[in-house]
Amino acid sequence: MRRLAAVMVVLLLALTAGACGGSDESKSTSSGGSGDITFWTGFTDRELGVMEDVVADFEKTHPNIHVKVVGGISDDKIVAAIRGGNAPDVAHSFDAGAYAGAYCGNGAWIDLADYMKRDGVSEDIFPAVTQTYSKFEGTRCALPMLADAYGLYYNKDMLAKAGLSGPPKTVTELMDYAKKLTVRNADGSLEVVGLDPFNGFYENIAAHWAPQWGLDWTDESGKSILSSTPGWADMLEWQKELIDWYGYDDLVRFQAKAGDEFSPQQAFERGKLAMNLDGEWRVAFIAAEHPELNYGTAPLPVDDAEPDLYGSGYTSGSIIGIPKTSDNQDAAWELLKYLATDTGALAKMANDIRNVPTTSDALQSPDIKPDENFNVFLDIFGNPNTRTTPVTVVGSANQDLVDAFAAKYQAGKVDDLQAGLANLDKAIDAQLAAAGGGQVP
Amino acid sequence: MTSATVEAGTFVRRKPPAGVRRRRFLLAVANHSLLIAAAVIFLAPFLFIVLTAFMTNAQALSPDLWPHPFRWHNFIDVFHKIPLWRYALNSLLYGGLATLFLLISSIPVAYAFSRLRWRGRDAAFLVVLVAMILPPQVTVIPVYVMWAKLHLTGTLWPLILPNLLGDAFSIFLLRQFFLTIPEEYIDAARVDGCGEFRILSTVVLRLAKPAIAAVALFSFIFTFNDFFGPLLYTGENPANWTVSVGLSQFRTIYQVQWNLTMAATLIAIAPVILLFFLAQRAFVEGVTLTGVKG
Amino acid sequence: MLAFLSPWIAGFTIFFGYPLVMTAYYSFTHYDLLSAPRWVGLANYRFLFQGDQQVWPAVSNTLWFMAVAVPANALFAFGVALMLSRARRGNGFFRTVFYLPALVPPVAATLGFVYLLNPGTGPVNSLLGALGIQGPLWFDSPQWSKPSLVLLGMWGVGNLMIIFLAALVDVPKHLYESASLDGAGSFQQLRYVTLPTISPVILFAVVIGVIEALQYFTQAYVASTIAAGSAAGATEGANSLGYPLESTLFYPILLYQQGFRYFNMGYASAMAMLLLVVALGVTVLIIRNSRRWVHVAGAAR
Repeated sequence: MRRLAAVMVVLLLALTAGACGGSDESKSTSSGGSGDITFWTGFTDRELGVMEDVVADFEKTHPNIHVKVVGGISDDKIVAAIRGGNAPDVAHSFDAGAYAGAYCGNGAWIDLADYMKRDGVSEDIFPAVTQTYSKFEGTRCALPMLADAYGLYYNKDMLAKAGLSGPPKTVTELMDYAKKLTVRNADGSLEVVGLDPFNGFYENIAAHWAPQWGLDWTDESGKSILSSTPGWADMLEWQKELIDWYGYDDLVRFQAKAGDEFSPQQAFERGKLAMNLDGEWRVAFIAAEHPELNYGTAPLPVDDAEPDLYGSGYTSGSIIGIPKTSDNQDAAWELLKYLATDTGALAKMANDIRNVPTTSDALQSPDIKPDENFNVFLDIFGNPNTRTTPVTVVGSANQDLVDAFAAKYQAGKVDDLQAGLANLDKAIDAQLAAAGGGQVP
Repeated sequence: MTSATVEAGTFVRRKPPAGVRRRRFLLAVANHSLLIAAAVIFLAPFLFIVLTAFMTNAQALSPDLWPHPFRWHNFIDVFHKIPLWRYALNSLLYGGLATLFLLISSIPVAYAFSRLRWRGRDAAFLVVLVAMILPPQVTVIPVYVMWAKLHLTGTLWPLILPNLLGDAFSIFLLRQFFLTIPEEYIDAARVDGCGEFRILSTVVLRLAKPAIAAVALFSFIFTFNDFFGPLLYTGENPANWTVSVGLSQFRTIYQVQWNLTMAATLIAIAPVILLFFLAQRAFVEGVTLTGVKG
Repeated sequence: MLAFLSPWIAGFTIFFGYPLVMTAYYSFTHYDLLSAPRWVGLANYRFLFQGDQQVWPAVSNTLWFMAVAVPANALFAFGVALMLSRARRGNGFFRTVFYLPALVPPVAATLGFVYLLNPGTGPVNSLLGALGIQGPLWFDSPQWSKPSLVLLGMWGVGNLMIIFLAALVDVPKHLYESASLDGAGSFQQLRYVTLPTISPVILFAVVIGVIEALQYFTQAYVASTIAAGSAAGATEGANSLGYPLESTLFYPILLYQQGFRYFNMGYASAMAMLLLVVALGVTVLIIRNSRRWVHVAGAAR
C-alpha cells in the first residue's frame, strides 16, 4: 500500500520537476527523488546482508534511485563525517539514546516535519515510546527503525536440573535462582554463573535494569532524580548483594574468560551463564550459532513491591535520518520513508535480523514469522510500562556517569550510597548545564 | 708483559692481579646472565604473539600456550577480514609523502637556525622547542575545524600536508647536527662565492647524510606507527585507514578474534622490523643524535 | 635567509600560532562542531574546576603516571644500557633485542600486552598459575591497570636505552681511571663519575618522559576499550574509556571523551588550555631545577 503511494508520489513529483525545469536546489521539497545516494548502517556480516536485501527491494520500486550501502558504521564516524562535510545521505544510528539529542538539537540531521507533512506520514504510526527517542525538544530529525527490547534469557536444562520451575518473576526469586544455578570448580573459581549483573558486562548497564524497578531518570524539568527516588538505591543494592555473594574478584576472573558478546563463544550460548539479560537479537544469534541450546525467554523480573510492572522492560532502538550535508535530500527521504514505514520491509528485517519492528502495523503484520522466544520481546516492546532513557544534548554522558558510579559501588568503593547518588545527580545536572552554557549548580 | 712503546704521561697498563681478575670474571658472568634474563623477558611478548597468531580462535581463548594445530591460514584470513593491503598502502603513502615533504622543508629551516646568523635566532629556536613540547591536544581542535572547512577530513592529507611547512622535531635534530659541521667547510664555500643555497645543497647535504637518513627513518617510523592522527582524520572513512587504525578497529563492532588480531599485529610489525634490520646503522646513529647532542 | 625560514614561519603560524589562539577562543564558547560556537564566558572553566567530577581522577591518574613511568623508564633504560656497556660479547645481538620492541606500533604493542595479561587465559597468568601464584587481574583491575601500562612502556624503552648506551660509552676512560686511583670502588665510580657525566641524558629522559606522560593517549585508549570490550560487550550505552573504574582515565583521554563523544568542544578547549599551562610550567620547572645537577661542560660532544 505505502509502496504504491510512494511510487505515485515520486512519479508525480518527477513530472512536476520536469515541468519546472532548471534551478533544482535539491534541498527544496518540490522536486522528485532520484539519483545516487549513500546509506550508512551499523550492521555487519549477516545482518548487513539483510539490509542490502531490503535496499534492493526499495530500488526495485524506485528505479530512479540507486543506493550504495556501507556497513559497520558507528556514530563516531557519522558525526565526524557530518563535521567534515562528507556524510551519507541516509544515516543509521544504533544509539538513539546517546545521539538523538545531538543530531536533532544541533541541526546535524534535518528536521523531517516538512517531508512528513507533505507525504502524510504521521508520527502516530510509531509506538509512543519510540517517538520519544527519535526527537529532541520537539524537533523530529529521525524516524525509528527497528528497536531492541530487553528481557531474560534462561537455560531450560539448567533450571530443570536445579529443580526450578518456570522463569523467575520477582527480583528476589531471580537472586534465589541465580545462587542455585551457580556452579563452582574444585578450586573455588566460577564455572557457571547463575546471573551476572556486573555493570559493564554484556548488556548490563543501569539503563537496562532501571525499568524493572519502575525508575525514571529525570523529573519534568529535566533535573536528575536518582537520589530522591528510593528505587535507584534499591536496584544498586540488589545488584551488589548478588555480586558480593559471588565474590567480586571471582566474578571478574569469570568475565575475563567469558567469550565476546557477539561471538559464538558468548557465555550464555556456551552454557556458562544460566540466565542473562539480553536483547531480542540474541534469538537470531542462537538460532545461527547454537541451535541445540534449550532456552526460554521471559520479561525480566521486577521489584517485589511493583508486581504490576511485570511484562515491561527497557527499549531503545535505531534511528535513521538525513544528515544536513546531504545534497540529495529528496531521494534520501524516499529511502528513509521506506525503511521506517514500509510494513514489508520492516517485517523482513524483523524476521531476518530479529529486531523489533517499529510501526504498529508492522508489529501486527502476518509476515512476521512466529517464534515463541521472539514474541516475548514483541510483547515487552508493546507493554505500556516499558521505558527508555532520556535524550540529552551531551550524548551518553548521563548514562556514562551513572554506569561509572554503579561500577564503583559494585566494587565496594562507595561508602555512603545515598550521598553518592546525590553527588551523581549534581554531576549529571552540571554536565547538562555546562553543555547548555549555563551556570554550574 | 706490558708494551715497551708507551707514551710519556699515559697510564701504564699492567695485567691486574689474579684476585681482581677473578672478581672481574664473576662480575662479567653476572652481568651476562642478567642480560640474558632481560633479553628473554623482552623477547617473551614477541614469542607469545607469534604463537597465538597460529592458534585457532577457541584455543586463543584458552590457557594453552602452544598452538595445536598450526593454523598458517590465519595470516590469509586476516587479509579477508580486513583490507590490510589497502591499509598498508595508506600507511606507505602517508609515511612516504610526509617524510619527503618534511625533509624538503625542514632542512633549509634547520640550516637557517644553525649556520646563518640573524637577529632573534635563539629566541625563535626557543619557540621551536616549545612547539615540540606542546601536547597535540592543545591545537588539535581548531586545526581539525580548519581541515573540516576545507573538506579534507576523511583523508590523509591533513596529516601529510603540514609537513610541507616543517616539523619541529626534525628541525631540532637537523640543527643539532648542522652545528657540528666544521665552520671551515662552510667558510671555504663562501669564499668560493657560493650563495647560501648552494652551500646547503652541495656542502652541507653531503656531510649530513647520516643525520638526514636518521631523520627520514624516524619520520617514517613515526608516521607508520601514528594512531591518534589517522584516527582523528580518517576514522570516518575506512577506505583511508592506516595499519594502526585498521589494527585497533580489527576488533569489529562485535568481537575480538585474538588469534587473527595477533596475526594482524605481526603483519603490522613486520615492515618496521625489516626496515630496522636493513638500516641498523642509521637507526643507532640517529637515536644517538637525539640524546647525546641534545 | 627568509626563504629558508619561510616554510617554518608559515607552518608555525598556521599550525601553532593560529590554533593556539583559536583554542583559547573556543574555551570560552560552547561548540559542538555541528553548529556555530556560542559564547559562554567562563562557564567551561567553572565546570572544569568545580563541576566535572571526572577531572580530578584524570589529573591524578596523569600525575601518578608521570611520577611512576618516568623514573621507571629512565631507570630501566639506564640499567639495561649499563649492562650492555659492560658486556663484551654478543653486544650487537642484545642491543637489537632490546631495541626491537620500541619499533612496534603502539597499538600493536598494546593489543599484544592486553592479550598477554588477560587474567583468565593469558600466557602470563597461565605461567604464574603453573608456579602456584594467582596472577592479578592486570588490565581488568583498577589497582593493576596503570602498572600494566607502565610495564608496556618499559618494554618499549629501546630508544632511551640506546641514548644512554651511547652516553655511557662516551664517558672518558681517564675519569674512571683517576677515580679508581683515588680509591673509589665501582659503586662510587658510578655515583661520582658516570652519573654526573651523563646527567644531560638523564635530563633529556626526564623531560621527554614528562612530555609523553602529559600527552599519553593511544595505549590507554586501546587498552581500556579492548580490555573492557573483550568480555563486556554492550555496544550501546557503555563507555569503556578509563576502564576499569576510571583507573585509566588520563587527562588527554577525558579531553577526547568530552570533545569528541559528548560534543563539548568548548569545554575540551578549556581543558586543552589548562594542559598547555601545565606542560609549559612543568618543563620550565624541570629545566630550571636541572641547572643544579646537570653537568654541561664537556659532557655532550
